[in-house]
Amino acid sequence: MLKRKAALAAIPIVIFLLGWEALSRGSLLNPYLFPPPTTILMELGNLFMKGMPAQSALLMHVGMTLWRVLLSVVLGIVAGVIVGVAMGLNRAVYSFFDPLITVLMPIPGIALAPLFIVWMGFGNQTIVSLGVLSAFFPVVYTTVAGVRSVDPQLVRAAQMMGSRPIGVVLNVYLPWAATYVFNGVKLGLARCWMTIIAVEFVAASNWGMGYMIWNAAENLRADVVYGGILLLIVIYFILEKALINRLESRTIARWGMIRQA
Amino acid sequence: MLTQEPVVTQQTAARSVWGVVRFVYPFVVVALIWETALRLGWVQSVSLPAPSQIAAEFWRLAVTQGVLWEHFSASFYRLAVGYFLAVGIGVTVGALLSLSPLLRGLFEPVLSLLVSVPTIAWLPVLLITMGLGDRTVITTVFLGGFFAITYNTMRGIEMVPRNQILAAREMGVNGAHLFFAVLLPGSLVSLITGLRLGIGYAWRALVGGEMLAAMIEWGIGKMVFQARFFNNVSIMFVGILLIGLSGYLLDRTFLRWLEMATVERWGMVRRR
Repeated sequence: MLKRKAALAAIPIVIFLLGWEALSRGSLLNPYLFPPPTTILMELGNLFMKGMPAQSALLMHVGMTLWRVLLSVVLGIVAGVIVGVAMGLNRAVYSFFDPLITVLMPIPGIALAPLFIVWMGFGNQTIVSLGVLSAFFPVVYTTVAGVRSVDPQLVRAAQMMGSRPIGVVLNVYLPWAATYVFNGVKLGLARCWMTIIAVEFVAASNWGMGYMIWNAAENLRADVVYGGILLLIVIYFILEKALINRLESRTIARWGMIRQA
Repeated sequence: MLTQEPVVTQQTAARSVWGVVRFVYPFVVVALIWETALRLGWVQSVSLPAPSQIAAEFWRLAVTQGVLWEHFSASFYRLAVGYFLAVGIGVTVGALLSLSPLLRGLFEPVLSLLVSVPTIAWLPVLLITMGLGDRTVITTVFLGGFFAITYNTMRGIEMVPRNQILAAREMGVNGAHLFFAVLLPGSLVSLITGLRLGIGYAWRALVGGEMLAAMIEWGIGKMVFQARFFNNVSIMFVGILLIGLSGYLLDRTFLRWLEMATVERWGMVRRR
């Protein structure tokens, strides 16, 4: 059954790739704009080998982007959970920050890029700051919802049994809100990934997948552009399946907070 | 039948004024602290304008020069064209995929892979193949909205109870009539979610596209991006705040009205 599904899914992809290859080789498609898929793969191989054995150019680009994403997501989650818990626990804090967050959240990271470039210049500072912001907002948003949904009886029970405020937060609010926070983390990771690639287009100075793709587009190297996007798809797929889904089944699904798929 | 909507009374009007005040006061507080900090010299920076300077810049752009509206209308034209294309094509494709198991088996996996590509990552491809102008930006907007709308239309139609479809078929409802009378209303909750997600993505894609497509002259994203070349941070702030506010209003106005007029009135989701 699964095999049949995979075979069915492969049909349009194979037809598309074969068609592209044939049209491009036969020059019915402009091979400068639409280089044949085999050329794209070869170029990715070239980029991988470039600079070997000391370092691989492709791995440097990928590694740099992943490092920025990791750093931003971690910082964004920590800040988001702290602000989110504060907002969820205190009405005054909530009513102050909620409007600010509603207006700031829909601003795309790339719109802030020119401002941050003026403030911090090209490079990691600008890219990671915008990455942190983009991961921060979804986490705050869902953490607030999670904390506010906690059953007050649980809180009273914990307090009655002598739990200190910090203990109530750590042992009651956070575990209860974990499903919500997790959703925020997923959203945050997706937005952070997107923002970092986009900001790398304009603000990276030498490494990063966004930089690689943008630089290739400016030099009309279509093969590198397509290769880069293919890599983006593959890497995100791995991030989502291997990292997020595994983390989910090890934590909240194991605790019985969501149904195991 | 539901009871008639209550007439807006003074009380609800007062409440909505209170709502506006509650929404606006944090911005006022932040602006006041910011302004004082700069005036008293606690913070000194050439690249951090005071709120009063930003307001003055807004006044200059919006009233004295009036260029702001030029930027805005260019942006909204692109948004409208791209988004409506995304709605039309997205709903059609989503419906086709949900109605034919074969098409779904063929294309759903491709679709779910492509959804994960950041819209902005298509931009370099489009810049190479379609040029640096309007066409590229509109296509980016289209791609931004298309995937969310297609995916949610598909999910929505799948969630229509099988019994309803069979009952309708039994009563001789078929083809287009079945689609418009049963499937579309039944999937509207999910469809509207898709439309709302779609407009958010489309708006972000628009801003990114406008910034990076070199050959366009107008557009709110272009305004922010160009301000970098003459180091005018105030223009950036005006642009960024308006981008945020528009994104918020796009979500809360017309799609919210659609939601209230349909699924909430029909009792398919709880009123908020």
